[in-house]
Amino acid sequence: MTRRAGRRTRPRSRDARKLMRAAFFVPAVFLLVLLVVYPVAQTVYLSFFSRSGQFAGLDNYGAVLSDRDTIDLSDTRLPYGTLIHNAIWISIHLPLSLFTGLFLALTLQKVRGAAIVKSMIFLGMVTPLVVGGIILRFLFDERSGIVPVGLGLLGVHSLAIQWTAFPATLLFGLILGSVWLWTGFSMIVYSAGVTTIPRDYFEAALIDGASSWRTFRKITWPLLRPITLVVVTMTLLWELKLFDIVIAAADPGGGVSGAADVLALQMFRYGFVNIPRQYNEAAVVATLLTFLTLVIAGSLFRRILLGAPKKKRRFHLVGGLRRMLHI
Amino acid sequence: MGQPSDTSGGSASATDYVPRKGAARAWLIPIVLLVAGLVVGTGVGWYVAQPPAKAAPMIVLGPWSGSEQAAFIPVLDLFTRTTGIPYEYRTARQEDLATDLPIDFAASRSRGDLIFMTSSFIKQAGADGHASSLTGVVSESGYAPGALDPVKNGSAIYGGAYTGKVKPGFWYRHSFFDAHGFQPPTTWAEFGTLLANIDTAIPGPNNAVLSGDPGWVLSDITEHFIATYGGPTMHRQLTAGTLAWTDTSVRNVFANYLVPSLQSGHWSAPRNFQTGYSEFWAESYGLYFMGSWITVEAAITDSTDLGVFSLPEAPGAKGIVFGPDYFFVPKYSTHLNDAKELAKFLASEPAQEEQIRHGGNLATAKGVSITDYPLVDAGVARLLEGKEVLPDLDDTKGNPFSGVFWSQLKGLWADPTTLDTVLQNIQAAA
Repeated sequence: MTRRAGRRTRPRSRDARKLMRAAFFVPAVFLLVLLVVYPVAQTVYLSFFSRSGQFAGLDNYGAVLSDRDTIDLSDTRLPYGTLIHNAIWISIHLPLSLFTGLFLALTLQKVRGAAIVKSMIFLGMVTPLVVGGIILRFLFDERSGIVPVGLGLLGVHSLAIQWTAFPATLLFGLILGSVWLWTGFSMIVYSAGVTTIPRDYFEAALIDGASSWRTFRKITWPLLRPITLVVVTMTLLWELKLFDIVIAAADPGGGVSGAADVLALQMFRYGFVNIPRQYNEAAVVATLLTFLTLVIAGSLFRRILLGAPKKKRRFHLVGGLRRMLHI
Repeated sequence: MGQPSDTSGGSASATDYVPRKGAARAWLIPIVLLVAGLVVGTGVGWYVAQPPAKAAPMIVLGPWSGSEQAAFIPVLDLFTRTTGIPYEYRTARQEDLATDLPIDFAASRSRGDLIFMTSSFIKQAGADGHASSLTGVVSESGYAPGALDPVKNGSAIYGGAYTGKVKPGFWYRHSFFDAHGFQPPTTWAEFGTLLANIDTAIPGPNNAVLSGDPGWVLSDITEHFIATYGGPTMHRQLTAGTLAWTDTSVRNVFANYLVPSLQSGHWSAPRNFQTGYSEFWAESYGLYFMGSWITVEAAITDSTDLGVFSLPEAPGAKGIVFGPDYFFVPKYSTHLNDAKELAKFLASEPAQEEQIRHGGNLATAKGVSITDYPLVDAGVARLLEGKEVLPDLDDTKGNPFSGVFWSQLKGLWADPTTLDTVLQNIQAAA
């Protein structure tokens, strides 16, 4: 009887289920459209119009990309412009934080009390980046900062200076400081990844007499590739969005001569510092950042959310990224 | 079948209980609607039930905290005693307000009823229709000629000048100078010798002059060099944008005075200006270029030990930068009349006399006598005598110029040989 009653009610319950899904779905879609889709569309729209509201085509893009704040290769000395600075940041920060995190994860694997050490390293990750930026300012103070004072004691007097007062030391100091703040992320993700590799593989390698390096190269590294993909993607996204650490450690102008200026800071200045406001130029930078972010995030989402992509696509997207990053 | 079964002799077992799906769904919709209704209802109720804005006191936003705030509060208290209008003072950095206020204004709101802000911001707010006109509230005749020019659009006045700070030059400790037999310099050559002697007297390199960070401190130093060795006219022309920073006359001021001095190695790298007060007072540095507010800084425990000298003058070049604290009343103030009443009061002689009594400030209102100042401020006020008073260059021009100017000057401090690049970049933003 119950079964028959169930059959009778099934069509109604299916409708009710659809209704229920819609009831849950519609508010989310409404909020998504209101708070994400509309602002993004409005930003892209704004980037193609002049301040007076007239269609400007790609003029704003041309103006921003030809702005010396964006790319400045007129001199061999810093600054080089925000786009180049972001690229420098990526080229140094990404490999350093990735491999330091991997090294720590592997080293601390069998160490007693590793959890405490990992927690201490991970503290940098949970510290707000604004606070991190301010800490860096103190670390680089020539009188009380541990970095210049320490280097002075080691006899490196050329670096026993106020790091935030000179273009090169400012940019590279911030990059190194951010490695300290971000390494905890890659270490934790790699630590989790290492535990997923079956122990049998390592035991077999041991029996076969493989060296540690060979074991790492042939077993650990290949099996950690999905983890590496996640770390690389998340780090790249973070590097593109860099803002708080720079504004806290330097200033809204990107520090001395703009040596630590980055894209997000440039966008902030266009939109919220300069008078009159340059919303259209800010929208251009925001659009460029969104585009770059989507290209990178798209690869990860395709891989993680949609499963392994078809071979051809994999060749273009994930494979391209891997080749680019040599992973 | 299909019903909860009691197998434990009393309470129902969770594994045996099979809920009726239809019934659960039937309950879920009203619950969702109820929760949604509660959220919406609470929001609407909160909005409707907000106390009327008039019940809250007028909000005054100013950049001062600590000892500077303590010197300002008695003025506001005097206003409340005189008029019966209550107030609430909140500290707000002008750099932050420059970001936040335009967002407020776009929503026809304001987080303050009377706000102290840079003159360039006030002028722009007036032009954009966000600032109330203070014409008739603040009178130009109560100030020195031209004092309100930076906050005027045509004949309309959008701001008032409160007391101000002068950037007189290099501060030193009398006790330190006496101990080493130093004297304030009277010529450019003596200035160079003094820096060298101070650097010798204090252990470690680059200790003669403390350069403050952020960039506005470097801007003040640079303006002092321009006003002294380029003259008031050059300073005014650079402010107005009628003279190029790359002009030979401007370049000469940098190349002949500021750059050689920086290259002498007696200036520190830019350091946090707030910790600088303590470092200067502890004699880690001999000289500190700072505004007149240094006299009321907490780190300066005995302001009578402070002395100040300007750069030795070049013939005929007599100018000194004086930065009044400007205020305005946003159009969206919820206490418009009260705020205008306060504006009128702040521009008056009694308010400014009360302020200068606490030190660190000079009056802009006419009629305030030099005898009303504390001793150290009277000395600063005397430095103004016979000199042309100049507006703060970067405050008047505002962003994006200020940001570029500051960051380029930091670049010059880092590497004085980049002078021409620095001047070109400043000119590009001027």
